[in-house]
Amino acid sequence: MNAPAVKSYRGLVAILAATLAFAALPLFQPSPFLESFLYLLFFWIALATSWTILSGFTGYVSFGHGAFYGAGVYATANLGAHAPLWVCLLAGGLIAAVLGGAVGFVVFRVRRLRGELFALLTLALAIVLATIILNTPIDGGPGVSLMGVRLPRIYANPSSTIYLLGALVAMGSLATAWLVQYSSFGRGLFAISDDEDVAEILGVPTLGFKVAALALSSFLAGVAGAVHALFVSYVTVGETFSITVPLFVLLMSVLGGARHWLGPAIGAIFVTTLTNALVGGDWALAARALIGVTLIVATLYLPEGVIGFLAHRFRARAKPALAAAPIVEPAPEVGPKRPIGDVLLQCDDVHLAFRGVRALNGVTLEVREGEILGLVGPNGSGKSTLINVISGFYRPDAGRLVFAGSDVTADAGHRRARRGIARTFQIPRPFNRLSVLDNVVVAGQFGARGLDHGAALAQAQEWLSFVGLDARAQALPKELNLHQRKFLELARALASGARLIMLDEVLAGLTPAEITTAIDMVRKIHASGATIIFVEHNMRAVLALTDRLVVLNQGQIIAQGDPRAVMQDPLVISAYLGDADAHP
Amino acid sequence: MASGNNLISQPSRRDLLAMALAAGASTTAMGQTSGPPVRVGGTLSLTGPLAATGAIHKIVGDLFVQEANKKQGMLGRPIEWVLLDDQSKPDLARTLYERLITVDKVDLLIGPYATANILSAMSVAQRYNKVLVHSTFGIPKLATYDRHFPGWPIGFSPEDTVSNMALDGILSTGKQVKTFAVVTSKFPSVQFLAVGARDVFKKRGLTENLYLEFEFGARDFGPIAARVREANPDILYMGAIGLEGNQLLEALEKINYTPKNHMYVYPSPGQLAQSPLGKDALSLTIYEDLPPFSDNPEAATFARLYREAATKAGFPFVDPETQAGAGYSSWQILTGAVNATKSLNDDVLTAHLKKNGAETIIGKVRFDGPQNYGDDLMRLKQVQDGKWAIVWPKQVATPGKTIIIK
Repeated sequence: MNAPAVKSYRGLVAILAATLAFAALPLFQPSPFLESFLYLLFFWIALATSWTILSGFTGYVSFGHGAFYGAGVYATANLGAHAPLWVCLLAGGLIAAVLGGAVGFVVFRVRRLRGELFALLTLALAIVLATIILNTPIDGGPGVSLMGVRLPRIYANPSSTIYLLGALVAMGSLATAWLVQYSSFGRGLFAISDDEDVAEILGVPTLGFKVAALALSSFLAGVAGAVHALFVSYVTVGETFSITVPLFVLLMSVLGGARHWLGPAIGAIFVTTLTNALVGGDWALAARALIGVTLIVATLYLPEGVIGFLAHRFRARAKPALAAAPIVEPAPEVGPKRPIGDVLLQCDDVHLAFRGVRALNGVTLEVREGEILGLVGPNGSGKSTLINVISGFYRPDAGRLVFAGSDVTADAGHRRARRGIARTFQIPRPFNRLSVLDNVVVAGQFGARGLDHGAALAQAQEWLSFVGLDARAQALPKELNLHQRKFLELARALASGARLIMLDEVLAGLTPAEITTAIDMVRKIHASGATIIFVEHNMRAVLALTDRLVVLNQGQIIAQGDPRAVMQDPLVISAYLGDADAHP
Repeated sequence: MASGNNLISQPSRRDLLAMALAAGASTTAMGQTSGPPVRVGGTLSLTGPLAATGAIHKIVGDLFVQEANKKQGMLGRPIEWVLLDDQSKPDLARTLYERLITVDKVDLLIGPYATANILSAMSVAQRYNKVLVHSTFGIPKLATYDRHFPGWPIGFSPEDTVSNMALDGILSTGKQVKTFAVVTSKFPSVQFLAVGARDVFKKRGLTENLYLEFEFGARDFGPIAARVREANPDILYMGAIGLEGNQLLEALEKINYTPKNHMYVYPSPGQLAQSPLGKDALSLTIYEDLPPFSDNPEAATFARLYREAATKAGFPFVDPETQAGAGYSSWQILTGAVNATKSLNDDVLTAHLKKNGAETIIGKVRFDGPQNYGDDLMRLKQVQDGKWAIVWPKQVATPGKTIIIK
């Protein structure tokens, strides 16, 4: 699903209006059943929405939401008789947030703990927490009764008070999700969901964002749990940490649409209403089966949830003609060939090995401000590895990287991006579920320029126009051809405001006509102020574009200097063509 | 300890005559209920993790309503049971009781099954001052509502009285029982009784060889079995839900250990009795289809119908026992109070029940103690010859059966 680039406050206004309406409802003395049923809706809306802030937005599916919810439940269970209600709710949220944040800080550092491993780990967290609570005085085994907890009389009826708390937590969760979705934070989370590595090197502080998302998600779940303890009034470990809680939350979010602030609420309303509507005692099993079948059908036919389905319908209606957009004249001024300046990037004796294979073996080179440095070499020579090291995707085993006078060797990828290093990928890696426009906006917000949303949006439109993709701004990357996807990568790199742009085989796979266009585009990018490292196999383009050439072979630089002179170097010829003596 | 004056007594000739007359009257009145139905609302866990026990209560309720409507129903009107499925969720139970009271506008309430769900229902009943008769509520001290009436009469302090009753029975044999081991699931109501048993056994001079808790849902009983064998107690008390008792026994068999004496609270009764390893196993009950309970014609009829219905429903164990008995007694308590007072008024029903208690198939149930709890009517039963027999107290022991302690 595509997160809209243009922020509309209608959603937030609707949430505020709904909050006021729900808060006023008890004044009209509705049926207590209605309040009770609405409370259940609110409870599931809050839990599902809180889940989606982590799992829907970042793609890190959590089965541990029961743990954070349970932390809130037991906060009220243990504090309810001794502390004011607001303390219980705050404590529930904070305990859950600290727990989530601490777990995230450890877990998110490990790159391999993604996907199902993360889900299993969060499931284990719920089990561990349940075990601790069960085996300590927090519960001890017999459960905790809250029958004696006195509720503040916001309304005459205590059940109305619980209803109101539920409404506030649910609406608060929705408002939080809305604010996250339309903030740069949310855009960063969506980028993480689509391609975390790319998000990092575009400047998104992925570790911090994931930890923050988990802590925020946990906080909301904790508060929801703290209120729910009052509703059920007797809490036990078995029921609190039941696997049904995270499973229902996941189901609701997926059904409604996990990548949209409103999706989980739609799912929660659907599932809760369905399960509450079919409670007749004479056909209980049939009702369960019907619910199961309904959910299976809905999941099959709405793989991106209700919101995703509606978004597709909307997009299909608004989709422009599929003809390739013409390359238009660039918006920024294109000046004469730029002079070569001081050293912008310095690599000193850089080493990197993968399980004993030396990918980089003492690479030392300089890139000067304003130049186009060609980086060539046979397949497996270490070109892409060097790009990965410079962009921060890999950390070198030894050696030093200095960019614009600062040692960046230990910097994470997002820090390097903010210093002004950007790259493209040999095989384009756009954020597939963000629009073309949003792909570029992310780069503007998190890259070297660090623009606010409005400025990033305006600039993104300019860069899309520059690369000729302005007509496809609202398309999804999958709707672009390879040529256009490569140009999207260029637009993203440009939008980041990078001083150094590394183009990794940007011409690969293009037709001769497209190559000509692309070469022209690189010239224009260079003219717009960027220093370029140009990794390429196409020697026509290399010789046409580069000021200087570096040749890598087996992780070592074997030649560097004037491109035409270097290409005549016997070592280079040997590296490309092989040794004549050895291969008669 | 249970007091004998509340235990089931053998019906006198006069009682039997009265029953026969009543039966005759009922036959005459069969199908004679008229007028709008009295609507009794309640939930059961018909789906979800508690569904297996919920199914027992549904059969019991259906049978009771069916049979009652053949007689005088409530106030001569048919009973309509408005049953909803709480899906084993306390929060849903709470919402559904709100619905039953405010939307379905039922006349009376009958409680769900299981402690947490009953507490949820109780909080709703309390707000509307409705009488709530319920079954198998495991931790009496949590039930603080003035108008709740338990159909499972285990007394206000079962952790004390049940354990003392059981130990009375064990020690009555004169055998040397000096050491004990308690192994218990952390399922709330089970652990609650196990902790009580531990205290009582200690207070009465037994030496604790082992106290071990395990989490509800445990599957690997090997390590626990090893600890039990090492402890080698004279009596093994196991707080066990469902098949946990069988699982421990199987683990003990694998290490060639047979407990000298063993007691289980609350096992799957059929599986334990039918297993060769369950020989001489002790457990608790408030009702079995055995004399003296089965001397009551209503109980005998109920047991026959229950067995038929359970067989038809494919239950693995078709004999009625504690759950079925408690469910039936709940209906009897409610219906008896309505017909005795000729009222559906909750104030009237409350006053009547507190003052008079109720006659049920499990005996006379009183509600005049703390928090509406009366006597503890728990009994000790034992697997003998592959079947359960009530073995203690003597007054209710199955004829010809005495407790076997090694």
